[in-house]
Amino acid sequence: MSIEHKLRGYILENFLFTDDESALSSSDSFLEKGIIDSTGIMEVIYFIQEEFGIEVDDNEMIPENLDSVNNIVKFLEKKKAA
Amino acid sequence: MSQSLIHLLQHQAHRVPDNIAIVQKDERISYGQLYACICAVAAFLRENGLAPGARVGLLLENSPQFVATYYGVLAAGGVVVAMNTGTKSRDLVNWLKHSEACWLFADARHPELAAITTQMRDSIAYVIVGEHPNGSAITVGASWKQIQENGAVNEPDLSYSGQPGELASIIYTSGTTGHPKGVMLSHGNLFHNVNSIVGYLKLTGDDIVMNILPFYYSYGNSVLHTHLAVGATIVLENSLLYPHKILQTMEKERVTGFSGVPSTFSILLSRTKFKDYDLSSLRYITQAGGPMAPASIRRVIADLPNAEFFVMYGQTEATARLSYLPPDKLEQKLGSVGIGIPGVTLEVQDDQGNKVAPGEIGQIYAKGDNIMLGYWKDPQTTETVIQNGWLVTGDLAYQDSDGFIFINGRASDMIKSGANRISPKDIEEVIAELEGVEEVAVVGIPDEILGQVIKAFVVASPNAKLEKKAVMAHCRQNLAIYKLPKEVEFVSELPKTASGKVKRFLLADTARAS
Repeated sequence: MSIEHKLRGYILENFLFTDDESALSSSDSFLEKGIIDSTGIMEVIYFIQEEFGIEVDDNEMIPENLDSVNNIVKFLEKKKAA
Repeated sequence: MSQSLIHLLQHQAHRVPDNIAIVQKDERISYGQLYACICAVAAFLRENGLAPGARVGLLLENSPQFVATYYGVLAAGGVVVAMNTGTKSRDLVNWLKHSEACWLFADARHPELAAITTQMRDSIAYVIVGEHPNGSAITVGASWKQIQENGAVNEPDLSYSGQPGELASIIYTSGTTGHPKGVMLSHGNLFHNVNSIVGYLKLTGDDIVMNILPFYYSYGNSVLHTHLAVGATIVLENSLLYPHKILQTMEKERVTGFSGVPSTFSILLSRTKFKDYDLSSLRYITQAGGPMAPASIRRVIADLPNAEFFVMYGQTEATARLSYLPPDKLEQKLGSVGIGIPGVTLEVQDDQGNKVAPGEIGQIYAKGDNIMLGYWKDPQTTETVIQNGWLVTGDLAYQDSDGFIFINGRASDMIKSGANRISPKDIEEVIAELEGVEEVAVVGIPDEILGQVIKAFVVASPNAKLEKKAVMAHCRQNLAIYKLPKEVEFVSELPKTASGKVKRFLLADTARAS
């Protein structure tokens, strides 16, 4: 299963409570669409740390890295390449 | 000078037109520019026949457009109904109908706008602010852009705007279908509360405040008005999702003030380090919106020793602010919400309305020019909270021998989560609609970051196959994100009194114990 697919499944299941794939686009901003709030973002961070075996530093918690499925995918690829 | 917010703003626009009023991302709006936008909104509304006292809905995020619309409505003699932008269409439509709003200024990107236009049809006129990202134009009403291009030929005639006893704003604090609670604030309420806060915070035109609090709530609303009243600068960041970004902006803009609720500080303390940023310009920090742990206050003042820390307490029904703890008393009276702000009298009284002795617990009663006119179209509920000229706050407390107030719980069932005061009924009403739900009760349970989170106890109908996911999906569809239960537990029955009322305190105890 691709990283994008896993992430989408996690967000749909835990924040949108649905299996309907059309409820979330991979480019949707979590902030602008009101998908995740300020405590929910910590749950996302815990999930990607555990699931993909990376550490997210405090200064990496920025929208460019975390504000959509696509942004997280890019961030993970960058982390793994480093 | 007349005593109202719009007159204060007009004064600053004439006095310091080049001072920066609002900063958002790369946009810097001066007082002169802001006032021109306000005049354009007022001219548009008047040209289109807005009657004095008519309600105008706002569905806008914190932005220069929000501010210009808010003040433009006041300048036109209208009443502002600024609504929670995180709310779903069922509440928004309910509030628009209940307030009988004749105009709605809405962000084109708002996810509920299409549902609102479908349900409200042409019973309300629209002004659409901005453009939808997909370019799918909303084809109703006027556009913000056009209003600003048309501008105003003259300054609005403010001679009939802002009379002290007249209604200026309605703030909805709950959304149940039967009984939405709309707090009515007069021009005088807003003016007096602003003046009092400006006084004890010693705000001046040199101040620059970082604001992350929504303007549609009373706390954010008072941050907005107090700083505009003195010609100060308000820097906007609209979310705590990425706290580093907030501290970076605070450093860059050399802010002098910061306001938050307890969860704001919990998030900043747990996910950032104040010491990584140069925040030496910070002169004052304010905290309201529920009790903050003394240990957290100590951590903030240890990391930001140059700033004075103001613990404050208030309610929407009191415009915003009722009390503050003077910073020089912070260490001595830690845990207290302080004393009445200038112009406000606070007393702790028993059920018979008698002032109790120091140390004894009673309910906080408040008097002052900031106390609301009442609840919109609801004299019965108004009578229960305004008695003999006193506001009955619903907060239990005691006063020490020096008169400092220490809050000791709430007499009502309201849930306080983050900056939000949530009526359990709002959530129960939604869950009860779900097929297979026989009964439901909702309580607040303690949470380290948010103060409280929501737990729902659900009794399923016999043979119903109900799962937590179905309950959550239904809530997600119909409730704002901050009203979503964190936990759902299925139980065989709810504990009740002999008269059939749910014993919420027992459920809350059960939830805490588990």
